[in-house]
Amino acid sequence: MFKTGSLKRLALGLVVGAGLALGGLGGAAHAADAKKYKIYLSLSYSGNAWQSEAANIVKALAATPPYDKLVDLKEVISGTDVQAQISAYESMIADGANGIISFPISSSGLNKAIRRGCKKGVLIWVYDGMVTEPCAYSVSYLGSGFGENTAQYLVNLLHGKGNIFLSRGVAGNMVDKRHVDGAMSVFKKYPDIHIVADYYANWDDQTTQLETAKALAAHPDVDGIFAQAGEDGAIKAMIASGRQKLPFLTGENSNGFRLALANPDYQKRGFNGVSSGSPPASSGVAFKLMMEQLVNGRKLPFHNVLYPLPWTTAEEVKICTGDRIENGCNAFPASKVPDSFVTQVFNEKWLPEASLVSALEGKPTPGATIQPLPGNDNFQQAPDMPGIDCNNCTPPADLYKLTKVKPFNG
Amino acid sequence: MSQANPAPPPLIDTRTSGRALGSEVVTPLVLFGLTVLLVIASRWISPSLGGLHQVSAIIVLSAFLMVVAFGQQMVVLIGGLDLSIPSLVTLGGILTYAWTTQSGWSFIWILPAALVVTGCVGALSGAGVAWLRIPPFIMTLAMGIIVYSASLGITAGTPRGHASPALASLFTGRILDLPPIIYLMVIFVIFCTLLQSSTPFGRRLYALGTSPTAAHVAGLPVGRLTVATYAISAAAAGGAGFLLVGYAGGATLTMGQSYLLPSVAAVVVGGTSILGGRGNYVSAVAASLLLTTFSTIISSVQILEGWRTIIYGLVILVAIGALREDLPLWFSRLMQRPAPRQPAPLVASDSK
Repeated sequence: MFKTGSLKRLALGLVVGAGLALGGLGGAAHAADAKKYKIYLSLSYSGNAWQSEAANIVKALAATPPYDKLVDLKEVISGTDVQAQISAYESMIADGANGIISFPISSSGLNKAIRRGCKKGVLIWVYDGMVTEPCAYSVSYLGSGFGENTAQYLVNLLHGKGNIFLSRGVAGNMVDKRHVDGAMSVFKKYPDIHIVADYYANWDDQTTQLETAKALAAHPDVDGIFAQAGEDGAIKAMIASGRQKLPFLTGENSNGFRLALANPDYQKRGFNGVSSGSPPASSGVAFKLMMEQLVNGRKLPFHNVLYPLPWTTAEEVKICTGDRIENGCNAFPASKVPDSFVTQVFNEKWLPEASLVSALEGKPTPGATIQPLPGNDNFQQAPDMPGIDCNNCTPPADLYKLTKVKPFNG
Repeated sequence: MSQANPAPPPLIDTRTSGRALGSEVVTPLVLFGLTVLLVIASRWISPSLGGLHQVSAIIVLSAFLMVVAFGQQMVVLIGGLDLSIPSLVTLGGILTYAWTTQSGWSFIWILPAALVVTGCVGALSGAGVAWLRIPPFIMTLAMGIIVYSASLGITAGTPRGHASPALASLFTGRILDLPPIIYLMVIFVIFCTLLQSSTPFGRRLYALGTSPTAAHVAGLPVGRLTVATYAISAAAAGGAGFLLVGYAGGATLTMGQSYLLPSVAAVVVGGTSILGGRGNYVSAVAASLLLTTFSTIISSVQILEGWRTIIYGLVILVAIGALREDLPLWFSRLMQRPAPRQPAPLVASDSK
């Protein structure tokens, strides 16, 4: 007993020493209080590249100095069942968590548990998905107009005319609805755009490939595909169908899609599009904001932080040479990551600590230390979207305004 | 004859000739027939449907289902059920992807290696079922969860490796205007049918499925047969994972998820008794083709997703209803004589 006690004291001394040293270097002096914050990472499901990367980024940040001395991070994976995530939240709150960072499986189903946590003083941050409970915080791209902007880009490539597929997410899911509502706000303005097939592909590469292959068999005359996550499967289906001319594709941020956009052979066959959508980096930004609230007492003027829409056109794809994401590169060679890897794991302003190793293995980038986030005026508030981030609220009239691309006329 | 069956003579005659036609022949014929009808009828939905391209796309899409359905059917034949298929598809895929080197033809040794590893996992499930007497669905469910969790842990969520252009060319290449995988599938189906119907091993599975006790009394090595069957099922799932890596150019942890229920559906729609002992692979192949054809066509119809799944469910019900045991009887009655004016039971009671 005595021995472990002295060991503990020794460890404490080391931590304090390290904290003072860091403080001397101008880092976070708060390590000196030697208390570790109990943070829970609550995932609903895991197993696809996106979820793993988002979780790995949080784990990597929690292990990056000085957070490694400040954070005791525990990961809980509760599956696709809302009830399971509710009970996961409940146990975390009961265990005296300081903060919960979470990918929410439902935008409204978790509200009661979140409210209870807020009352007990637990900071609850969600990333990518949003919740309608106003006491929770979020970092998400959902209000940034993925659906309408990529739809308009597709329409522009098609000069307002052609047959398209809608490759959708999960049936009945609010996120899918938000994207498709945004897209339809564009498509309905162009009577010569015909949606000849729409299918639910569950944001999964393989399902997207199988469903796109079926749609291609029925409609070989397709000119463009509007896809959500899983778009890499749509490319695989096009190639496997043996066609010479490739339809345009808009979709999210898979490495396979970006490499395909930059592939000169595919370009010769008419391939073009834009890579946009959900960034796994939002988990890291949410985690850092939460830590700054806990450690530095940072105050935020609003709860829902908008992650700006990632946007990479075919001309903008730039392949990284090393494991760091630097000099504006935004894709990796196929030898480094699988095609399903979601590239948007880094943010120059908000998440310079992230690299390939943090997203793939959850390990801190060698030599990296946590960089403070910029001031509040660098962050934008997400718009009100009923059923997604608020209840009984009215969305702004210009919710579907185009921010990345100009509409095509005639 | 009349001793064996209490029914009156005229009825016996029809039944005998009904048996002669045999559900083993009728089931696949009906399923193939429905598939062809669907393909032809689909031209009405979209003029591009019904062509060689669509047929070849459907065969390619059903190839994975056919392979997993073979394993599932073997297990169902001995009265079991394999719920570990999705995890083993994933394991097969992850191993294939991880082992692939850029040299190209490495898949020649990767396939047997992946089959051996997944087969060993299946053998463990079989051992649990045969010797520890764990109910099959519990044993395979547990094994599936263990394999999936191990895959998740080891890959940290992102399986890594190399795509194999040689493997991909099975799907993207063309031999006589058809992807090479189609020829491979023909060989696979013939091989599996022979394994089931013409080898002592295959015949013993039927005996085991019909009555495990009788099989044991007859001196069949029940334990070893069970282990071998689960190993084959797991290896088939691993093989499907191998093929999926060629098709998708990579492996994900979710790659096997969409094959559990379809594998059961293909087996059951193909007329295999869920209680074991009856069924044949050709029917399961026909059912895989039918289910894939139908889902291809239904997804090109512009209706709400809810209606699509309702119609899909109805078609499975109708298909199973149409393949009931008495269908051959009904068919042969139809062929033998014009339909009786009076309902059949009345005829029977008249003759009494």
